[in-house]
Parts: sequence; structure tokens; C-alpha cells
Amino acid sequence: MVERVDLAIIALVLIGIIVASGTMYYTATTLSNISAMSDDLITLTDGVTELTGSIDDLATITSTLAETVNASVAEIADLKARLAELEATLAVRETLIVGTTDSVELTLDPAQAYDYFGWNMLQQISGTLVSVKPGSVTGSDFVGDLAASWNASADLKTWDFNLRQGITFPGGVAFTATDVKYSVDRAIALIPRIPEGAPAGLGYDLIFDRTEVLSTYKVRFHLKFPFSPFLGILAARSSAIVDQRYASIAQINYTAANPRASTPVAFVGPYTLVRWDRVAGRDNEIKLDANPNYWDLASGLPELKHIIFRFYRDAATLRLAIEARDVDMAFRHISPTDVLDLENNPNLRVWWGTGAQIQYLCFQTERAPFDDKRVRMAVAAALNRTAVTETVFLGLAKNLYSIVPPGMLGHTEAFKDAGLDENYALTQSLLTQAGYSTSNPLEFDLWYESSGHYPSSADQALLYEESIEAAWPGAIQVTLKSAEWASYKSNRDSEIMDAFIYGWYPDYVDPDDYSFLYWASWLHTNYSNSTQVDLYDQARATSNETLRTQLYAQIDDIAVDQCSVVPLWVSGAWAVTKPTVYGIYLDITQDMRYWLISK
Amino acid sequence: MRKTKTKLRSILSSLIPGLSSLARRGPSGWMVLVGIAIVSSIVIMTAIAPWISPHSPIASRVGPIRASPSLQFPLGTNHLGQDMFSRILWGGSLMLQVSALSVLICFLVGVPIGLLASYTGGMVDSTTSLVIDAVYAFPGLVIAIAIAAMLGPGVVNMALSIAVVYIPSYFRIVRSQVLSIKELTYVEAARAAGAKWHTILFRYILPNVIPSIVVVVTINFADAVLTAAGLTFIGLGVAKNIPDWGWDLTDGRQYLGSGAWWIITFPGIMIVLLALGFTLIGEGLSELLNPKLQR
Amino acid sequence: MGLRTYVITRILLTIPTLLLLLSMVFVIMRVLPGDPVALHFEKKADPAQMDAMRRILGLDKPLWEQYADYLLGIVDVNYFVAHGYPNLGKSMQTFEEVGGQIFSAFPATLELALYSMAIASVVGILLGVASSKAYNSIPDHLIRGFGTVAYAIPVFFLGIIFQLIFGVYLGWLPTGLRINPRVDPPATITGLYTIDSLLGGNPYKFLESLKALLLPSLTLGIILSGIFVRLTRSNMLETLRLDFVTAARARGLKEGTVTYGYALRNAFLPVLTMMGLQFAMLLGGAILTESTFSWPGLGSYIVQRINFRDYTAIQGAVIMFGLFVTLVSLVVDILYAYFDPRIRL
Repeated sequence: MVERVDLAIIALVLIGIIVASGTMYYTATTLSNISAMSDDLITLTDGVTELTGSIDDLATITSTLAETVNASVAEIADLKARLAELEATLAVRETLIVGTTDSVELTLDPAQAYDYFGWNMLQQISGTLVSVKPGSVTGSDFVGDLAASWNASADLKTWDFNLRQGITFPGGVAFTATDVKYSVDRAIALIPRIPEGAPAGLGYDLIFDRTEVLSTYKVRFHLKFPFSPFLGILAARSSAIVDQRYASIAQINYTAANPRASTPVAFVGPYTLVRWDRVAGRDNEIKLDANPNYWDLASGLPELKHIIFRFYRDAATLRLAIEARDVDMAFRHISPTDVLDLENNPNLRVWWGTGAQIQYLCFQTERAPFDDKRVRMAVAAALNRTAVTETVFLGLAKNLYSIVPPGMLGHTEAFKDAGLDENYALTQSLLTQAGYSTSNPLEFDLWYESSGHYPSSADQALLYEESIEAAWPGAIQVTLKSAEWASYKSNRDSEIMDAFIYGWYPDYVDPDDYSFLYWASWLHTNYSNSTQVDLYDQARATSNETLRTQLYAQIDDIAVDQCSVVPLWVSGAWAVTKPTVYGIYLDITQDMRYWLISK
Repeated sequence: MRKTKTKLRSILSSLIPGLSSLARRGPSGWMVLVGIAIVSSIVIMTAIAPWISPHSPIASRVGPIRASPSLQFPLGTNHLGQDMFSRILWGGSLMLQVSALSVLICFLVGVPIGLLASYTGGMVDSTTSLVIDAVYAFPGLVIAIAIAAMLGPGVVNMALSIAVVYIPSYFRIVRSQVLSIKELTYVEAARAAGAKWHTILFRYILPNVIPSIVVVVTINFADAVLTAAGLTFIGLGVAKNIPDWGWDLTDGRQYLGSGAWWIITFPGIMIVLLALGFTLIGEGLSELLNPKLQR
Repeated sequence: MGLRTYVITRILLTIPTLLLLLSMVFVIMRVLPGDPVALHFEKKADPAQMDAMRRILGLDKPLWEQYADYLLGIVDVNYFVAHGYPNLGKSMQTFEEVGGQIFSAFPATLELALYSMAIASVVGILLGVASSKAYNSIPDHLIRGFGTVAYAIPVFFLGIIFQLIFGVYLGWLPTGLRINPRVDPPATITGLYTIDSLLGGNPYKFLESLKALLLPSLTLGIILSGIFVRLTRSNMLETLRLDFVTAARARGLKEGTVTYGYALRNAFLPVLTMMGLQFAMLLGGAILTESTFSWPGLGSYIVQRINFRDYTAIQGAVIMFGLFVTLVSLVVDILYAYFDPRIRL
């Protein structure tokens, strides 16, 4: 009996040891932190002494004031309190707290970053030669950012840029053409070391031939082929100008507690990065402060002095946060249901805009049943896009009838004009031609991604299955299959999926970044078409918009005939804010320009 | 063949008086009965669902989207306009299948390994315990996720991934029981009398081990139901065109903020009831069969 | 065999167990479909880029070499001394030190586990004792009912209900994150926000982090308390019937002393071992709770990393978890061997 008590004590001790061994890591950090703290304490005490001195001065002035104004002590105290309140309100008024479910994926190094949020952050703190005008519909109205003017040669292979003069990096170093050359050269040089980065993905080494510094403020790009969407590449965040003092030829990675060392870009944008906190590969907090070095300070931008980002895990929690007004603004991602609800909330304001994310259906053309283009067209004709955009996305997504989204040059309604939407008669006649019937049904697998990489994939797939089978009841049997993202990609590469749903969002807003999806080799649909490729190459070699429109329309015509890839829908864009927030542009670039937002 | 028939008949014939005798055994007996009642009603409900369900559980837009409970749709509709009442009737099927299958796998794998390894003793026992301990030290949900990701979605695969997590528990319980019983006098006597190892194992040891296993089985059922829901929550569930309470629980979460409480509440209650039913059986049996409440 | 021999054998056995665990996770990762190289390329990827990535991730080396590097890294003492955590390689997704990432994710999970354990233990033990004293009465049945139902609730279901009631409808508590977004987190000393704010002398931050901690730990705590209630109750019932309790009562000791001073102390051992086991489980990352409450701990870390097939990260997290569970099982087994000599064979 007594032993039991001893045992309990032994057990306690042993378990205590385990817990202690687990927490011994903390002792190590604690000790180092405490020693750091004691250093801080010394600095603090010095600061406090200074403060005390200033407070003494303040006190003297206040007492003199009191004598002069002959006001009672209570009135002075009241005035001080009101001043403090005003200062606090001003600080709050000048800070925007943004809630988001995004997170910087890898780094804020333009040679490596290739995710939406990384690019968005880079846009706030860095500069590029050109950018797209806020509110743009087509995505091709470029304005000069760090460049004042530019022109392209007739063959679209030589591009000259005149840089703005008088821009300096923090610390006074002047921005010149050598910085531009350095940035581009660095991006290209790092491609072999950073194969997953944007310069590699966008093919900088295939686009840029060489960069030439013509004079202090003039730079010339020689391209390897005629490329009319070149401005789009220069406006992309992978072309952000870096500060040579902080950007070696090696890649720059996140350094805890040191925002300046965590990014090589030159802080010439509206904001500087003052705090970047990551925990285990996910952002915890990002804080941006207005940049006194911003080249466009004269325009009165940025509107707000501080931007703080708070990161949430999912759309449901983000909705709760904006509803509880824990944040001033919620952007990416609030679900369609939630945003429509919040529209009815008098304490919040919803902003609507244009989306550029698309979803499309791919067919494996190498084997039955989709090696027969009639079958592909039959299934394409049976799709009920409206059911998905209305039921799953509550009207916040739009039916897409061309791989190029609306607003952009080259957008058509090709698939609709060809009758490839909710056209059960066409489906039946095509399938009969191909030899299918209720006694010989068409059977295939429809795959979707199940780990949330695309919005509501499971619901979408269910509705597509329903509509396809409804086209000819009994003659079509669709088996729904799913895989989480990693396996899904692997399945795509091993070509085991008969039909699968895939998505895309643009790097630069130009049909050049969409049209190739019809025959993209990395989709592994085993479809190729040299005519379409020719038309595509022609379209990127000319800047004549009418000609380009025609060419993309011709590509669409072939696409409708072949149905290798069938566009499904294009997303909308929205943000939710408190009613006191203004200046939100949700244009086709998908860029959120925080410096234009005011409260 | 005849032996099986007679065995079956004796089981069935002892079922009714068995159940009523449970009632006379006090609160533990009541617990078991209530548990059995809950589980069997859910099983029956799922079985007759095809006949009594007013709509197809996966047909979209049979009603308005996210309609609150009404006469026409007694449990409301979800975000795709599917009737929740039909989904509740049909939705238990997946969980029942997955949990039953995983329990079966666990039992068929964990018990024999446990019996053989611990009875043989020595090197075999140590090695097996080692491997099992290593599996046990794996975070449960991570194994389940890894296997589900590896094999893809589906009833069998989900059952497999859940089973792998629980086999160590079966093994350990069986082993601790066998080790205690192995050295008892009457077992030694049987050995001395020349009985073969499989006779000793199945006629002497196994019957004593069964009571503990039964309890683990019921807890396994309950946990399997909850883990299946958890896997669906993370996105490793079955395809969307199979009605499943786990799906409604996962989907319904997004719509709570907009006030559509019925999408998540009813499936949630059903899952709790099912897990509860099994737990009650396990608790009650544990008290009845192990009056000394041995671990 | 004697107790000492058993203990030594058992401790020695943990080494191969851990080795087996390390190897198992290594193999499982590489057997999973999905390629960490391919997952770096959201869009187009040409073979040259993918080869370069493969080299960077060290996946072009033969399998045995990867395995050897992996094991050698873990036992690298210099690295451990320099960094304070073992060399678990670099994350295949973010290229940061895995040890560092786990280290930074761990405090959130530890804090959640500690508070959940505290709630579960206090609620569970108190209710269990009360239930055993009031054997077979209505309160007993109610408490038993609670204990049974509590564990049957899916953790994310209860979490969502709590979020809805306390976060949205009543608006008392925050529904996610470790602290109110308007407040800067306290300076890191231990990584536990509540402790750090107290150490930093900041009662406001303490309150805010406590408020954020309340819902997730309440969710987990209530569900876990179910087990503790039942375990405490059954062990107390057993103990209360023993002779020494009757003797203590006969000697005129107060009921409270008898219950808590004598009976509970003896009934406590199995409950304590269960607490240890559950705590180790919690440290593995309450994956579902963390997802529900946007809690940036080890659990969400693991789930994300599986999606990215981040071999090194998952290996690291699993090893960490495995270590805890193995150690706790070791202690439990030794204790039981002390109790029951038959087990030592």
C-alpha cells in the first residue's frame, strides 16, 4: 500500500522528467532570450532616462502654460487625455488590418516567388518598370512605374526604356539603369539554381537575349523573338528591381526577425516591410509601413501609414473574423455563401470585381473513349455550366466559353456559339454516330481534386456528373473519382485520368498566358495541333490588336472543333471591408493595391 | 458444416433470453441494451433507406438551396439543394461499412498476431512487440492520412487506413491477457498432459481473452466512426456522389456563419449517437465481463 | 527476471523501436504517390527544371544514401549543440531547417495540450470521484452519461458548436488564432503566449491569449475528460471497497481526507498513466482541433506538409511525436511491470 504511494511519486517524477526533457529546448532558448532581454533592459533604462528628461521638459512647459492660460489643473488633465485619445484614434485611422487565408509560399525573392500572395507583397514594397493602370479592364493599359517612357522596335525584339530620374533607394543610392540590368541578369542567372521560381516558369532565359545599359537612365532589352506581351513580363513581380547591396547573386531566404535581410528588392514601393513573422512555413504576421522613399510620394500615396496582415486558416474562420470586425478588411478567401450573406450586413461593405481564375475540363486523347473527338464534343455539349455557377458559386462565377476570360483581348463565346453547352440533342446525335446507345453506354471516369486546391471541386464534379448523365439517361455512365493534390498531379503526369478538372490563374494578363492551355504539354492530354501553335506564335509577334483578336478567335474555332480542353467558368473577385474603408480596385490584374486604400 | 449450423442456432436461441438476462443485470446491462438499441435502429434505418427516403440523397436542387426545415423538407436542404432528411437516412451506410470493415480487419490481423506472438514468447514476441510499438508510436491520424493518400478514396481503403491505427491496441490487449493467463496452473497442467499448442491457444487461452477483446472491438467501432468523419473533414473521404454524414459535417461547417445550422447539426447528432451506441455497449460489457475492471 | 533487468531491457528496446519508426516513416513517404519535385511547379515545368529541383532536394541520390544522410543527420551532435534541435534536414517545400520549423510550431501545440490536459484532468477527476462516492444514484448516472457522451463527439463538431455559440452568437471569445489580431503577440521567451505575457508583465496580453486559448482547450478538454471521468470512477470504486479505506474511516478520519488523501492517491496511478499517454497523443498535434480553430501548431503543420509530400518535414514531425509516445509507453510499461511481475517475461 505504501509502495503504491511511492510508485505514484516515482511515476510523477518520471513523467516530469519526460516533460522536462521535452521542454529543455525551451530552457536553452529562454536563457538566450533572457540574456537578450537583459541587454534590451539596459537600452530601455537609457531610453527611460531620456524620456524622463523629456517628460521633465514637458512638465515645465505645461506648468508655464497653466500659469499663462490661468486654467485649472483639471482642465489641463482633460486636454491631455483628449489629445491622447485623438492620437490613438489617428493611429487606428492610419492602420489597415487585413485578414486573409493566403500566406507567402516560399520567399519574397523575385527570383523565386511564384505565388499570388508573395507577388502581392512584393508589389507593395518594390517597383517594376511598368505596371497596369488600376481599374484596367483588358489588363493591357500599362503606365510607367519606375520607367517614364518606352518604345519598342518594329520587330518587337528591341525595347528601350527611359527611367524616371531622381529615384533613390533608402540610404540615398540613386536608381539607375545598371540596377535594372542587374535585376534582370540576376533573375536569369539564378534560374538553374531556382528551377521552381517565376523567371524559370515564365521562361526569362528564353525571352531575354541581353540587357544593355545605354546611359544612366536608359536601358535597352534585346529579346530572342518578337514578343508583344513583353510589358506584361516587365510588370510581373519577377521583374521587380532589386537593391544590389542586399541582393547577392545567391537567393535570399526568410531570415527570422529581419525583414530587410529576407528580401532583396529595393524598397522603392509605397511601403517597406517592417515585420515578417513566420511559424513553421506559414505566415503569422506581416506589417508594412509607409515608405518615406517612395518615388511617387508627391501624389499623396500611400493613403494609409500602416498595413498589418493577419493570417487565418480557412474561409469560415475568416468570415467570422470580419463579421466580428476583428479585421478592417477580408480579402481571399471568403466563400460565395458568406460574401452574399455579408452583403446584407449593414455593418460591412462588399466590393465586387473581375476575376481571372478559370477552370476547364481536360480529356485524355490518347485512348478510348476520348481518342474520338465526337465523344469529346458530345461530353462538352452535355455540360451544364449554369448549374455549377448558379448552385455552387451562387452566381459569383461566370460561365466561360473560351479559354481567354472576358475583358481580355481575344475573348470569344466560341463554345456557346458552337452549341457546346446544355445541348442534349447534340450529345445524343454525336454519341449515336460514335456507336454508343443505352445498350452500349459510354463509360468513363471523371476526376476531381479533393484537398481544396480548387474551390468546391467535389460539388462541381457532382453537378457535372449529373448533367452529363442527364444528357442521355442510361447511355452515359460517369464514375466520379478524386485524389488529393499531390496524387492528382501525379495522376495527371501518368495519364491515368480519362477526364479531369483543372484550373489556371495568370502570371500576366494577356491572352498569351491563356491560349496555350488548349494544347499545353504538361497537361499530358496527348493533344497537339501545329495550326494552333502557329496562330499563337503569330499572335505574340504582333502588337496589332485587331490582328491578335482575329488570331485568337481562330485558335478558339479549332478548339471548339477538337474539344481537347473545355473551358468551364471564370471566377469573380470580391473583398469585404468595414464601411469606413475606401479605394479598393478589383480589376482584371487581380492585384490588390493597398496603397490606394483609405479609411 | 453441421457444427456451424448448430453453433449458429445456439447463438440465435440464446440471443433473446440473453438480451433479457442483460436487463436483469443492473445498470451495466441497461447500458448494453440501450447501446444495442441505438446501433440496431441506425442499422435498420440505413437498411430500409432506399424504400422510405423521399428523395434521392444525391440529386441536386430537389429543393431551394439551404432551405430551413419545413414540412416539405423536414430537415431542410443543403447548399446543393439536396434533401437533408434523405441524406440522413442514407448517410450512415458509409460509416457503418467503414467501421465494420476496419474492425474486422483489426480483429483478423491483430488478434492472431497477438495470440501467436505472446504465446510463443522469446524472440518472436520481442520482435513483434517492437514492430507494433513502432506503429503505435506513429501519430494515428497521420498514418490514416498517409494510407488514404496512398490508396485513394473508397470504403475499403478508408477501413484499411483506420485499421492500421488500431491494430496495435488489439495486439497489446491480447498480449497482456495472454501473458497473464499463460502461466496459470491449469494451462500448465494442460501442457504437461501433452496438449498441442493450438488446442491450448484456442480452447484455453482464447476464451479468457475474448471478454477484453469484445470491449476493444466496441471502442474500435466508436473510434472508427469518428476517424472516418475526421478523414472526410481533411478531404480524404469518398467521392461526393456517395451520401455520407461526414460530408455533411464537413460541408455544413462553411454555412454555419450564414445561419444554416441544420446542415451540420443533424449529421453531427447522428454521428454522436452511433459512436455513443458502440461506446455504451463497450462500457456495459466491460463492467459485466470484467467485474474487477482490469485494464 | 528481476525488475532492474526488465527496465534495462525495456530501455534498450526503445532504441530499435525508434530506429524502426524512423525507417518506417522514411519508407512510407517514398512509397506515397505524388512527387515533391513536381509539387514545386504549379504550372508548366520542363524536364531540365525538374531535374535541377531533384538535385536540390537531394532526391537524385540513391535511396540508401538518402537513408544514411537522414540517420546521420539525426545523430549529429555538433548540429544539435549549435542549433538546439537535431538536424532533420531541410524542408522540401520551403527549404528551411525542419528542426527549426518544428521547434517554432511546437509551443502552440504544447500550450494547447497543457491547458486541455488541465481542464480534462480537473473536470474528469473531480467528476469521477464525485460519481464514485455517489454510486448508483442519479448524479452518478448523469456523470457517467456525460463521460460516455463526451468522448463520442467528433472534436471538430464540438469545436464548431462552441465557435458558433461563444464566438458568433454571444461574441465573448475569439474564434481562432492565438491572440486578438489587434494585439502584438508577447515577446517570445517560452513560446507559450500565456506564460510569456505574464513573464513580460503584460496582463492585457495574458487575458487576450487566455481568451483565445479557452475555446480550443475547452473543446479538447471536455472530450478527453470523458475518459478520465470513467477511469477515475472505476478505479475509485475499486479502491473505496478495499480494507484500508474502511480502516481509515473506522479510525475516525474525515471523509474528505479518506477520499482524497487515501483512496484517490491509490486509485490515481492508472489515471496518471492514461494522462501521460493522452498528453503524448496531444503533442502529436491535435490535428482536427487545430484545423477548426486556426491554431498554428504541429498538427496543422503535419497536414500541410503531407499535402506537399514534404518528406523531411513529415519525417521530423513523426520522429518528434514518436519519441514522446515511446518514452511515455516506456514509463507505463515499467510501472506495470513493477505492479505485475508476470508481465516482465
